[in-house]
Amino acid sequence: MSTATLVKTSYREAVRAAIREAMKRDNRVFLMGEDVGEYGGCYAVSMGLLEEFGPERIRDTPLSESAFVGAGIGAALGGMRPIVEVMTVNFSLLALDQILNTAATLLHMSGGQFNVPIVIRMATGAGRQLAAQHSHSLEGWYAHIPGIKVLAPGTVEDARGMLWPALQDPDPVLIFENAALYNMEAEMPGEFKDFDISKAKIRRAGSDLSLISYGGSLGKTLAAAEELAKVGISAEVLDLRSLRPLDTETIMDSVRRTNRAVIVDEGWRTGSLAAEVMASIMEQAFYDLDAPVGRVCSEEVPIPYAKHMEEAAIPQIPKIVAAAKEVLNAHV
Amino acid sequence: MIADTQNFKPFNPDPIAVLSQSGDWIAPFALTLDDETLKTIYKHMLAARLLDERFIKLQRSGKMSFVAPHSGHEAPQVAAAHAISKGTDWLFPYYRDYAMTLALGQSVLEILAQTTGSRLDTAKARQMPMHPGSKTLNIFTGASAIASHIPPAVGTAISMKIRETGQAVLTSFGDGATSEGDFHAAINYAGAKGAPIVFLCENNRLAISVDFNKQTGSETIAIKAKAYGMPGYLVDGMDVLACYYVLKECVENARAGLGPSLVEAQVMRFGAHSSADDDTVYRSKEELELMRQRDPILRMRRFLEKQGLWSDKAEEKFIKETQLAFQTALDTLAEAEKVPLEWMFDDVYAELLPHLAQQKKEFLG
Repeated sequence: MSTATLVKTSYREAVRAAIREAMKRDNRVFLMGEDVGEYGGCYAVSMGLLEEFGPERIRDTPLSESAFVGAGIGAALGGMRPIVEVMTVNFSLLALDQILNTAATLLHMSGGQFNVPIVIRMATGAGRQLAAQHSHSLEGWYAHIPGIKVLAPGTVEDARGMLWPALQDPDPVLIFENAALYNMEAEMPGEFKDFDISKAKIRRAGSDLSLISYGGSLGKTLAAAEELAKVGISAEVLDLRSLRPLDTETIMDSVRRTNRAVIVDEGWRTGSLAAEVMASIMEQAFYDLDAPVGRVCSEEVPIPYAKHMEEAAIPQIPKIVAAAKEVLNAHV
Repeated sequence: MIADTQNFKPFNPDPIAVLSQSGDWIAPFALTLDDETLKTIYKHMLAARLLDERFIKLQRSGKMSFVAPHSGHEAPQVAAAHAISKGTDWLFPYYRDYAMTLALGQSVLEILAQTTGSRLDTAKARQMPMHPGSKTLNIFTGASAIASHIPPAVGTAISMKIRETGQAVLTSFGDGATSEGDFHAAINYAGAKGAPIVFLCENNRLAISVDFNKQTGSETIAIKAKAYGMPGYLVDGMDVLACYYVLKECVENARAGLGPSLVEAQVMRFGAHSSADDDTVYRSKEELELMRQRDPILRMRRFLEKQGLWSDKAEEKFIKETQLAFQTALDTLAEAEKVPLEWMFDDVYAELLPHLAQQKKEFLG
């Protein structure tokens, strides 16, 4: 990737730039969903794209998740490369049958006859005081399903770079954009080449323990590592990026060096993605561990509305710091 | 939208028929099908009936897990296959549509292979019986969740319209499916986009055991088309030529850019819903006897005989040939190798991902 021209870009602008680029590179690509056209998307991601590409490629659809996700699957079968925007993961449940029973199974159940090259993007996560039915983090739940791939861009760079390779993928790909990240800014290069979406990435190197996170919790985890550094603890921060498939190789490489790990996941604890990562470490790196693996997840309650309640229910920097100290037996 | 040249006007109060029960042509327009096509349509219906009977025998002898009998539904199904353009248009059928896929050209071997778990099964032993799918014939692999194939059907049709390919989609479903959200969501979207698609409801007035009167307060399914901004046609589903002419017109309109249509074919389900239920619990033998008198195959046969195109001898010969073809396919399948266990790991994704490669390795020991 070229670093010659760096431009300050928000996560939102990065997703928009990725959509624009994909539309220009491949005329089979189109965007469909509720309010993506004239309104510019409920998170303002597609602002201006209707004017640039017209209503056939930036398609406002009827208010029906099962209809437009199902239609996206049909369009993919018909030779198109749809990007379907579902407003949030909460409402994707109205299209769950289409995603799980159709998109995820069709290639296998047809004996390899029908690929479904669809990309479904949606916002996820809490933190905007919209109460439980707008605040679920179900990406780990989707990561349970064979047949789909699940991506969670936690940086502006990934928001910009993940879409094109996802569209090149012959399998259905779900991209979860944590809504708390849309205003995050970073310096970005103008061009992307050979962007790998299958690998986890070390976002901060460290030697005392591995903090493993993704998506909306990544920034908090990096901030927690910064605080830990102040008290002399060197935390490595690993960004999973792909939740299905999981890059267990990079996870184990890190854990085998640091011998301790804490998973940070905005999903609910029981049966969570964090639980899966912990189980993988137990299976593959048990004898390298110096302490039980810890985790910081959301409290197992529907996310409350009020700000102080909502903040307390999901992973925050002090909780991550405390969990790190716990596995280091360094708590006071 | 409808065309001025159409034979049929939408929202007709009585079901459209072109053949009388005794097999006379009663339509106000001339028959346009040639003798060979008429015979082929009949042969497809008869072969489908024989296939259904064979399915039931196979299921009862433990050779297949599940059957959803299509006897009584042959007319709209065979008509649909003849109304679309094979391999060009797309078919999104439901689970009671083997007369449709057989008439479209799916081979008996391919159909029966899906019951056997053998290497000859194009679905590689992963899809249950009654769920056909074929890439070469553009048949979407059947969905088990009722009506869930309709949104993808609409999506394929919308992409055809936008790419101006001149193709059309035909999707079929039962009356129960019209109570599902996916039916409403999808047909509504098709209406909004003017998608080139024909919605075919094979209304047998029973969703497993639940009567049509409990399914909806609507008098017919066809009338619902009004609310979705498209024409709706009520057709005698026991009259294969009526089904053909109506569906043909709808498919042609779709291709001509006139948008979607809804066709309700009023059929009768001669068998149980499936091999999993006993229909004598929810209907009487007398009721069934009355239905069988309206058999779509008998009506078409009477018509052909009056035209001098069919005879007892021809019937006997065709039945013999068809049964032989079934037996030959079953013999071939009996000798075919089973799908190897490790094939289950293929096609979950386009390529074998590392975690699955690992699981496959552990599985094989």
